[in-house]
Amino acid sequence: MAAFARAIDADPDAGVPPTYAAAYALFTTAPQLFGDPEAAVDFGRLVHAEQEFSWDRHPEPGETITARAKVAADIERRGARFLTYETTCTAADGSPLATSRALFVVRP
Amino acid sequence: MSKVVFSREQIAAYAEASGDRNPIHLDDDFARSVGLPGVIAHGMLQMGLLANLAVEAAGGDPRRVRRLSVRFAGMVEPGEEVEFGSASRADGRLELWARKADGTPVLTKGMAELA
Repeated sequence: MAAFARAIDADPDAGVPPTYAAAYALFTTAPQLFGDPEAAVDFGRLVHAEQEFSWDRHPEPGETITARAKVAADIERRGARFLTYETTCTAADGSPLATSRALFVVRP
Repeated sequence: MSKVVFSREQIAAYAEASGDRNPIHLDDDFARSVGLPGVIAHGMLQMGLLANLAVEAAGGDPRRVRRLSVRFAGMVEPGEEVEFGSASRADGRLELWARKADGTPVLTKGMAELA
């Protein structure tokens, strides 16, 4: 987390940077989608087009988080594929922490 | 407002810290093989730098950031300078954007809600 904060020029002592959700929400789960032969996502042509995060509460350092993700939409338009990927993060007691909504576009 | 010159070192540090090791951010040959000019910065690195302005607007407390959204509008290559900006709106939200020196948009439709 401190390395992440430094990489984005943020103060590691101020708390968990909001977009550390990229690590605990998005890149805990997205590799499963990209690596799934059934999903057939062409990784080299993948573009991250939009991203939204919302928080009920931000996690604290040392906290264990469970991230569950699903493909909420998978649409083909003019040869490009639009994948909406939603992740829900919960705390150890099951209470909600954060949600992530990513739009990935696979270029033709 | 803040300005950042992106570097390979920062992109590599972000790849390591975030877990996003897509070779388009790390390997020029791979990036070119998929039609890119060379390695490009992570959109999430751009968004992370933009989010610093939201944290700043929240008095330096990242816990007060309740919602954050952006549209990734432009690629950034190492060596390019990007300007990050924010403006408070009447409804209390914070509008956020990033663009290059020549005006090319990098992040658009940026929005933050603070508690």
